[in-house]
Amino acid sequence: MDPAILDPEAFDHLLDITGGELEFVDELIDTYLEDGEAQLDAMRSAAAAGDIAAIVRPAHSLKSSSANVGAKALETLCRALEADAGTSALPDAAGRVAEAAAAFGLARDALIAERAARQGA
Amino acid sequence: MNDGRVLVVDDTLFNRRLLVRLLTGIGHEVLEAGDGREALAILRAPDAPSVDVILLDILMPVMDGYETLEALKADEALRDVPVIVISGVDELESVVRCIQIGAADYLPKSVAPEILRARIEASLAQKRLHDLERATMAEQALLLGTIERQRSELSRFLSPQVAALVSSEDGETLLAGHRREITAMFCDLRNFTGFSEQAAPEEVLGFLRAYHAVMGELIVTYEGTLEHFAGDGFMTFFNDPALQDDHAVRAVRLAIAMRDRFVALADEWRRRGHVLEIGIGIATGYATLGRIGFEGRYDYGAVGNVIIHAARLSGEAGPGEILIAPGTFAAVEADIEANHAGDRQLKGYSRPIPVHAVVGMRSTEAV
Repeated sequence: MDPAILDPEAFDHLLDITGGELEFVDELIDTYLEDGEAQLDAMRSAAAAGDIAAIVRPAHSLKSSSANVGAKALETLCRALEADAGTSALPDAAGRVAEAAAAFGLARDALIAERAARQGA
Repeated sequence: MNDGRVLVVDDTLFNRRLLVRLLTGIGHEVLEAGDGREALAILRAPDAPSVDVILLDILMPVMDGYETLEALKADEALRDVPVIVISGVDELESVVRCIQIGAADYLPKSVAPEILRARIEASLAQKRLHDLERATMAEQALLLGTIERQRSELSRFLSPQVAALVSSEDGETLLAGHRREITAMFCDLRNFTGFSEQAAPEEVLGFLRAYHAVMGELIVTYEGTLEHFAGDGFMTFFNDPALQDDHAVRAVRLAIAMRDRFVALADEWRRRGHVLEIGIGIATGYATLGRIGFEGRYDYGAVGNVIIHAARLSGEAGPGEILIAPGTFAAVEADIEANHAGDRQLKGYSRPIPVHAVVGMRSTEAV
């Protein structure tokens, strides 16, 4: 696992704060994946409509949940997106959102692979 | 005590689930809202359960954390519910703003359960203190209402000054008895006994009602302390319990006003065939004042030579006469015109005492 995509320490932290209940961690990760798709959709529509300010909130939301699951690269991209959208300094909004979507895809694959590895073990 | 009810307000389902899990895990009941408007709807619902702590995200759709916080702090019923702002590590500026609006505390987004537990506990303790304060304040308001009711009821039975004294801070000391210089005024009617023999009892009562109403109103206006009404006579004193520098002048002014007002009243009764005349005596000197009577029936009263002196002068006064003692005359000489009415041998006094009869106010000012 590439720690830049998915930080194993964050996963341990998640396990820690849920009291070591793997089932709930899985549930949380499913929530993250669903939620993440929804935030990306919101960002895509905002970028398409040229409503840069409307990118701030979903970027913020995806940033914080990504931090919680340890999706570091995505967290970093979202943080920058949030900040830039907040100042309206976002010339290539659609491209930046696509970049985040790609990072989200990698994080999702890593999370699913992690679960498969755990369940296989 | 992990029995609080916590409202989690966060638009990110992931964060909300995590917080709900953590909070239920440490024994709290949790309610959830996706934004500020939803949160306010939950809190303001008619059958809303009382929420002890609110965990509030800042950046949310529809109604964000700032707006929500402002709405909460502007709401009398919700302003005391502690709000903990949930913030990202890079949101310190926003946290400061929230605390300025009235947030009680803040928590980072990925929080360790121990810290969450400790912060919630602290806020719960704060909320309980507030609840207790509110309950105490409500109780106090109830108590104050009762006292106020008693006081206003009391003032219908007592002189306003005495009613105020009873509920004042030094009331107990003053009621227990004290010496003070006062001016006492006795007033009664010259031929009341004859009138009450001739007239029907209903007529006598009708007259007394009118007489008491007129005199009572004047006593209140001139701020005299009415000790008692007894048939046609009554005693009023000044400079106690409320201090009045000009107590002697006040008493004489009241007497003049009474005499003037009595003319109209007497005219009315004269037309019915009854001749009634007023006589007033005033004296100034030291008396002992306070609670007089016995357990079950006390009056606020005055005891002393000054009272007897005023009573004797009232007895001595002819129709429409206001007789004043030397001490009173000395105090009012500058303001009031009075003629020397001879040295009188009053009952119980070893030698004649000079008496003055009041003519009126010296200046043109109205009495």
